[in-house]
Amino acid sequence: MKKYKTIQRLSAVLIIVAAVITITSINGCAPSKAVAAKTGVQLWSENCQRCHNTPSPSTFSPEMWETVGMHMQTRALLTEDERKKIVEFLKSSR
Amino acid sequence: MKYLKQINKYGLLTAILISVSLCASAQTVIPFDSTIYDRLNALEEKVNYHKSGEDHFMVAGLATIGFASAKTTNTMNGVESVTKTNSFPDADHFEFSPMLLWRHGTKFLMEFEPSFNNNGLSVNWADVSYFAAPNLILRAGYFVLPFGTYAKREAAGWINKLATDPMGVADMPSTDYGVEAEGGLPLGSMKMNYDIALTNGLQLLQDGTLTTGNIADNNNNKTITARLGLLPFSNSCLEIGVSGMFGKVGDAGTGFQNVKGNMYAFDLNFVKTFSPILLNIKSQYNIVNIGDANYVNPVDTTQSYTFKNHSTSGFVQCSIRPTGIQALHDFELAGRYTSYNTPANSTWGSNQHSVSIGLNYWLSWRSVVRVAYEAYTGNSTASQALNAFTGTTNTNTLYLQFSIQL
Repeated sequence: MKKYKTIQRLSAVLIIVAAVITITSINGCAPSKAVAAKTGVQLWSENCQRCHNTPSPSTFSPEMWETVGMHMQTRALLTEDERKKIVEFLKSSR
Repeated sequence: MKYLKQINKYGLLTAILISVSLCASAQTVIPFDSTIYDRLNALEEKVNYHKSGEDHFMVAGLATIGFASAKTTNTMNGVESVTKTNSFPDADHFEFSPMLLWRHGTKFLMEFEPSFNNNGLSVNWADVSYFAAPNLILRAGYFVLPFGTYAKREAAGWINKLATDPMGVADMPSTDYGVEAEGGLPLGSMKMNYDIALTNGLQLLQDGTLTTGNIADNNNNKTITARLGLLPFSNSCLEIGVSGMFGKVGDAGTGFQNVKGNMYAFDLNFVKTFSPILLNIKSQYNIVNIGDANYVNPVDTTQSYTFKNHSTSGFVQCSIRPTGIQALHDFELAGRYTSYNTPANSTWGSNQHSVSIGLNYWLSWRSVVRVAYEAYTGNSTASQALNAFTGTTNTNTLYLQFSIQL
């Protein structure tokens, strides 16, 4: 019984530590200066080809790119910043 | 003094000349044409008329059609039987799946993909996503589970580099009803992504296989599926992921009611240009453990049997595309090794593997024609006492396929 309680306490401590680390990590999530400075064309060439060929900007209208961008963020789990920069590049390069 | 007077004279003369020239130029101004105002107003009206609204609806999707010619040899107790089939279109991979996307402002996205395929008319997914915070998306509905990456990112015909799906990995039920939270996070020079879903859960069938979740839960237990992905390099060329799926799979009120499923998946994706070649490596390995259960014997339904319900499946795929060579940059050569081991002493036990090679010709970035060849071998480990096939199967198939993103 004593051993069980020790395990329980240890588990509780581990959960709290894990939660603190997780929250700290998420709040501290930030790109490095070099990553933050990446342009839309760089992100387009690096990220789209992870799954499929890089799309031609002329494929869709600006409105459509906004919608497709949201869909792709859900699929490839791009960051918000990446999605905005890629969509902006695609819209402006048609 | 005389000198100052001279300056005054010249100054006066300059001022007169400037005044005269200004008056002269003023006389050359053309009176503004009021019709320009009218034209500007009309143009402004036209622009406003065509200006996009907050909402947007569009249709995308995909279509895959093809031809398959196969020769299958079944061998049991030294006796061979050969069958040959020609199918047009390649029935297993034919699909016409328009995807409907509704963007509701900047926060909501609705996705619906009906599909006409070998199984008739079905739905691939129907869900609503809410972009709650910069890197947090919440979803509800019928969606693709975050178990590995093949089903969610790589299965579409115009994305896949080969004509077939990797057996086992693609055979795992991939969709369910529930809620989901996901997002991508920057981590300095790296990135990570998370995806966690709470769903009704998969259903265990009478032979020990699994099927996709129902809209009405088959038990009161919810299944948790989660994936964590890491992109360790700043150019996003490598992604490694680990997934888990945990929950009860048995129907409530039956002998299966306490049967649980514990499943794991590991995935890898590496895409990088080593000029002039674009190298693309993809891989996934699944482990499926289903708890012990007694199944009804198909030979004698008054009897039961059991087996260790443990399956593994995995594939490694590599493709190269000479993007830097003008004459060849539309071609892509792909190869894949797939392995799928299902439980011994069941009715469907088998050790299977296949080797696939294919040549893709890209008509555009989203349409492809491919020719592929696949050699499959399956050695049955099923129970002879259950009247299952216990021999060896070899199948060689040639595929011609066209796939397009709509």
